[in-house]
Amino acid sequence: MIIKKRLATGALGLLAALACGLISPTAAMAGEPASDSPKVELVLDVSGSMRARDVDGDTRMAAAKQAFNEVLDATPEEVRLGIRTLGANYPGKDRKAGCQDSERLYPVGQVDRTEAKAAVATLRPTGWTPIGLALRGASKDLSGGEGTRRIVLITDGEDSCGLPDPCDVARELAAQGTHLVVDTLGLTLDRKVREQLSCIAEATGGTYTAIQHRDQLSSRIKQLVRRSADTPVETPTPVRGAAECAKAPYLGSGLYSDREGFGEHRWYRMRVAPGQELRASASVAVDRSVDPDYGVLVRAVTPGGRELVRGSEAGSGRTDVISSGLRYPIADVDDDEDKTARTVCLELSQSFSAPASVKRAPGLPVEFAVDVVGNDDPPADLAAFGLGRGWVLLGVLTVGGLLVGLLWGWLARWRVTVWRSN
Amino acid sequence: MRALRTLGAALTVCAAAWLTAAAPAAADGKDGTDGKSGTEAPTEAGTGFRTATEIEPGQRATATASTGDYLYWVFPAAAGQVPKVEAELKLPDVSSRHGSATWQLDVYDGLRRHQPCASGTPTRRAAQRDQTVTVSCTLRQVRSWSERWANDPLQGAYYVRLTVVDLPAQDLGLPIDAEVEASVRDAGGAHADGGDVTPLNPVLRAGTAPGTAPGTDAEPPDDDTASDSADDKGGKVPHAVAEPEDGWGSGWWSDRWVWTVIGAALAALAGVGGYTLTRGPRAPGRPPIGPGSDI
Repeated sequence: MIIKKRLATGALGLLAALACGLISPTAAMAGEPASDSPKVELVLDVSGSMRARDVDGDTRMAAAKQAFNEVLDATPEEVRLGIRTLGANYPGKDRKAGCQDSERLYPVGQVDRTEAKAAVATLRPTGWTPIGLALRGASKDLSGGEGTRRIVLITDGEDSCGLPDPCDVARELAAQGTHLVVDTLGLTLDRKVREQLSCIAEATGGTYTAIQHRDQLSSRIKQLVRRSADTPVETPTPVRGAAECAKAPYLGSGLYSDREGFGEHRWYRMRVAPGQELRASASVAVDRSVDPDYGVLVRAVTPGGRELVRGSEAGSGRTDVISSGLRYPIADVDDDEDKTARTVCLELSQSFSAPASVKRAPGLPVEFAVDVVGNDDPPADLAAFGLGRGWVLLGVLTVGGLLVGLLWGWLARWRVTVWRSN
Repeated sequence: MRALRTLGAALTVCAAAWLTAAAPAAADGKDGTDGKSGTEAPTEAGTGFRTATEIEPGQRATATASTGDYLYWVFPAAAGQVPKVEAELKLPDVSSRHGSATWQLDVYDGLRRHQPCASGTPTRRAAQRDQTVTVSCTLRQVRSWSERWANDPLQGAYYVRLTVVDLPAQDLGLPIDAEVEASVRDAGGAHADGGDVTPLNPVLRAGTAPGTAPGTDAEPPDDDTASDSADDKGGKVPHAVAEPEDGWGSGWWSDRWVWTVIGAALAALAGVGGYTLTRGPRAPGRPPIGPGSDI
């Protein structure tokens, strides 16, 4: 009996140790980083104009190199970093050749600092500025894996190749559902550069920064690299809403992403049981230039078409997103009644419009957050525990008590009198 | 029994090894930017609802950013509280700016519904010579229950968005420093509510794969209840904000108890007084003196 127990003890201990070894993170982290570790690619413009000497008395290229060295030193372990250049190799005048000049300088992966720094040190300002091409290349470099992707584009000039338009490329890449963000840093305050870079950033939900000083450049790149490590890995599940409720996809709880074109309506379905509450929030992001007035409407509708509740919001002016939400509780029923879940249709519509020159496809990015939570019955009294408060309450209670006392005293006296007279 | 104990010990050692191995990695990445990990104020802001940086009420969070960025934070507010958000921006050098700009603070509830400011200056125009600009927003009192059609603030997460809404195009991308602080004030017993709604604290996780066939009705509700029960078990599901120390509700205590008890005492005293007044003095063994004794 005792031996058996000992054996069992040993076996269980061994099992636990084995399991421990198997799931221990040290083993997983020693070699390749996990498949969901964030990926960042720094895309550096090495075109001829980077020779200009206007960043704190130094050339733009020197400032960028110094910043890269600092960034490589400060990159968090879990981030997989790559470097791509544009305009680094072809010095000639031929536009066609110059516009194909984008090269992967350092592959996306765990950074070997000395190797990466050596690669950066060889760069000399040379050729053209094919930003669109470089973005496509960077997106390819970052493909694969489940983690977040970020491109940090550092340039001092607008795209000198025209086609493909980098802004359209950025929107296209963002629409591929790979959760790619492009942050842009401009080394000049030129109007065209600013417009193009802020357009690229806007198209992917990224940021645009105008760089004037050397320390600003390195601290901003470091911040962006760090941000990609901090961003939660949980990326929304792509879903495609239908044009009518009967064909709509069923959603569980969590985050979903979709694209909704101008003037489009999208339907989704949820199952909600009595005693539960449906919660849905939708935000429509602005990834291109749109007309200044806009709105969003989320409706919960029965499959029969009766509206249950709606959430709406309207706005005007500069914005990144417009959002609204709704909650729909279904009261709990008695045990003998029908407790099966009901279908609730969710309709999302927005009233964005855009000037005729703006591309319509792909649609505007939509983020959906839906959840089903427990539902408590409405309170019997809106005041806490039905308690009262205030001078009127005290007055009423006192006068009420006095009246009852008077009545009771009179009754008692009347009883005594009756008893005496008998 | 002993086997179980050994297993327990082994698992504890295992968990400890796990934690020590995972901790430095987590610490490297977080860099004190996560409100959940400690009491240090965050030094980064999020870029959207999903990535909003969590701050605790009373913490002064900072962030460096570029003009035109959308900065997001999120903080918890319990029922019976009146949340207030204040933000101060250090604008770029006066010499590098080209005109006045309008800065705006927006507050959204856990359902991403825009919440109106009951007081404060959520939008302010900064002149070109201004060094800093301050915006603030005080919400309505957070309710513990509301009709489903209402836009009332309910307990849960509150998102803060800070951005510039109107500026000269040349000023886009210039560096700024932002400081934001959320604070909550208790509304007092006069506004103590009844009822209880599950906090509007959004779940931060990818949705389950959408089902297209209407025939698979049984599955979606199963998933939903799973999320529900996981919440009950101790919050394994990541949420936008951590529950405040004192909980989401205003608790059972409010000064309404004092008022009601004082009212009861006064009523009792007045009752006794009234009784003695009409009952007349009690004189045992003698007929009571008064109008009734003549009969």
